[in-house]
Amino acid sequence: MLSEYREVFLEELEEQLQLMDDVILQLEQEGETERVVQDLFRAAHTLKGSSAAMGYEEMKQLTHEMEHLLDLVRSRVLRVTGPLIDLFFQSLDCLKELQQDIMRNNETITDISKCVRDLQDFGKLPDEQAYNDAEDLPKPALSLDTTLKVKEAEDQGLEVYWVTVQIAADCVIKGARFYVIHSNLCHLGEVLYSVPDIDKIEVEEQGDTLLEVQFLYAGKQSSQELQDLVAALTEVEHVKVEALPVERAVLAEIGTRKQSESINEDPSNRDKSKTQTIRVSVERLDHLMNLVGELVIDHTRIDQVERTQRRQFTGDSLEELSQISDHLARIISDLQESVMKARMLPIEQLFNRFPRMIRDLSRDLGKDIELVIGGKDTELDRTLIEEIADPLIHLIRNAIDHGIELPQQRELSGKQRKGTLQIRAAHEDNQVVIYVEDDGAGINPERMRQSALSKGIISAEEAMLLSDREAVHLIFRPGFSTASSVSDISGRGVGMDIVRSNIENLNGLIDIETRWGHGTCFKIKLPLTLAIIIGLLVKLNDQTFIIPMSNIAEIVRITQGDIQTIRGQSVILLRDEIIPMVWLHDQFNLPRGEQKKDHIQLVIVGSAEKRLALAVDELIGNQEIVIKSLGSYVGKVDGIAGSTILGNGKVALIIEVSGIINQ
Amino acid sequence: MVQTMGQEQYIEFAIDEEQYAIHIEDIHEIIKMQDITQIPNVTPYVEGVINLRGKIVPVISLRKFFNLVVREYSRTTRIIVVHHQNDTVGIIVDRVNKVTTFADIQAPPERIGGIDGNYFVGIGLIDSGLVAILKLNEILLHEQE
Repeated sequence: MLSEYREVFLEELEEQLQLMDDVILQLEQEGETERVVQDLFRAAHTLKGSSAAMGYEEMKQLTHEMEHLLDLVRSRVLRVTGPLIDLFFQSLDCLKELQQDIMRNNETITDISKCVRDLQDFGKLPDEQAYNDAEDLPKPALSLDTTLKVKEAEDQGLEVYWVTVQIAADCVIKGARFYVIHSNLCHLGEVLYSVPDIDKIEVEEQGDTLLEVQFLYAGKQSSQELQDLVAALTEVEHVKVEALPVERAVLAEIGTRKQSESINEDPSNRDKSKTQTIRVSVERLDHLMNLVGELVIDHTRIDQVERTQRRQFTGDSLEELSQISDHLARIISDLQESVMKARMLPIEQLFNRFPRMIRDLSRDLGKDIELVIGGKDTELDRTLIEEIADPLIHLIRNAIDHGIELPQQRELSGKQRKGTLQIRAAHEDNQVVIYVEDDGAGINPERMRQSALSKGIISAEEAMLLSDREAVHLIFRPGFSTASSVSDISGRGVGMDIVRSNIENLNGLIDIETRWGHGTCFKIKLPLTLAIIIGLLVKLNDQTFIIPMSNIAEIVRITQGDIQTIRGQSVILLRDEIIPMVWLHDQFNLPRGEQKKDHIQLVIVGSAEKRLALAVDELIGNQEIVIKSLGSYVGKVDGIAGSTILGNGKVALIIEVSGIINQ
Repeated sequence: MVQTMGQEQYIEFAIDEEQYAIHIEDIHEIIKMQDITQIPNVTPYVEGVINLRGKIVPVISLRKFFNLVVREYSRTTRIIVVHHQNDTVGIIVDRVNKVTTFADIQAPPERIGGIDGNYFVGIGLIDSGLVAILKLNEILLHEQE
């Protein structure tokens, strides 16, 4: 049963850890404010509760210690200092390792003892406050319902306490004792909540779970009176009465919300706000997307039928068909958009990881870096967010390690001491574009040539022929790394290569703009989603092929005379850039057909950083297409990414641009 | 080796004058010749893919697979769509004759008319002559190797 909750717990854990990350950073940047400390306290508290419930002892212990320290901060006993913030970060890292352990489903391998000790030492004040160990039992997080009850009780002028009762170990029927205490409390006032839940306990229960029980109690008594009353009961070993640690902000908020709710809603609807989102497995969304894909295909076919009918007949029924078809088209496109949206997440999810990473990196390297994040709300497909995370992290590390200079160096070159790293995302023509831009040293093409030469990646002759732009692109070659010293941050010479291949796999493009001395900008273009894409239909010798729009850089028309040859390779010159050119026919062993016209239609495609000009016979147009695999019998075909069904019912093949470019 | 499988049903079809059969349980359906989209850079006997009610199905030419003389498709040309493991594959044949049963199936010889005997389960005997029964596993596995 626990495994069912495990998923939920992990999601919550991820959320809370991210929150802690943000909050500790805020604490560092903005200093100690009540709200920030409170946020952090609450996060630690929540995690403590849920990890205890799941039986993750280490995590509970660690969050407990954090919570304790934060409590001291909250009560102004401790001040927030640099070392304390470092300690919090250290604990957070420890928690993240624990998270990894849990995710791998392994036994806990992370050693938390040092971290716990550090936290404890930090909390030990010179005058050594007496701290009662009996407090150890975590106070459970209160449900909205209970919180509302607390609020109500307080409104009636009652005091609310946590009453922790230790039942004598030699008590024979602890369940019954629990009931007795419960009903006694009910006579005195009201029990709002109890741990364990009274409804779930058998009277005969004898287990050790009942050694220590907690009641959330509301009544008129003072804490001392209550203490005496409960302690007087038989078989009660120890009683502790604590005032409820009121999270005023929350209560106030709930209070106002409740008031506004009660005006237009009856109480049974109170929890409605909680059920407005549900978790759906990605698999189900994928299935939905496939179904929508089928609809898209069928509609293109209906459209086609309608058009052929129109050529032959006229009449009302045809008019009706056309109206229905139009309506259907609108519904399908709405449906498609909705399903796509359901799969989309704001890129914020990913971007939020960066501030902490950049703080740590710049600290380690002694650099002063300001991070500017833009376009957090840009949405893209969930799978894409996961896939693009690694490449982005590599780019950012590179920018910090190699791009942005040390403060002294920056001053020498007349720049501000503080470097700027910008990460932006935006939608452009049905695609997502992500920029990673730094105002650092930029990439020196000459140095790239020499480095590639000395590593044997290119020959001396090749080095001479490379344009500056191409030289900069050497960065994507396997085994290339310009950093003179290999740090553990970047510079193993695998990073950029991985970036390139990851982006290639996503059918994306990457481009570099760099000015020596002024900085570098990486631009990544990705399709919005992977299942339904926009394709350009082209004709080769009567056969229709599809080129994914996300791979197309531009479309040009040239004449036979524009084609030049460099060492046997046909090339064209486009705005001073040399682009290799191939006839798509040759790739697919199709006859080129007769060249009746004197112009040649070229589609400039790209995959990651590479560009290639593909000659085709004719452009037909754009269309939304659903990618279908050729099946395992045919398997992987060179240069073909899959297939789709066109409006006329025929199958058309989708060209795998990265495959053709890398041949 | 002599087996009797009186109850088993087969679909009997032909390429040129040679008769072949496929176990009826392997067959999904039999359709007329379709528009085939050729796939470049694949083994020659893979003719391409067809759209079978929204599903992309690869088709192979049994004629080319057995290295027989290539001929134009005719009015009688059919695609036998078979299920193979998790895949659906179409097999192009000259014509489909009938559903049949065999009173007697004999083990295949090493070669049948120049074709490797391993591609067959056995030889079925009927009144009008001999029928070679295809071993789909062997034929369809070929491409994946």
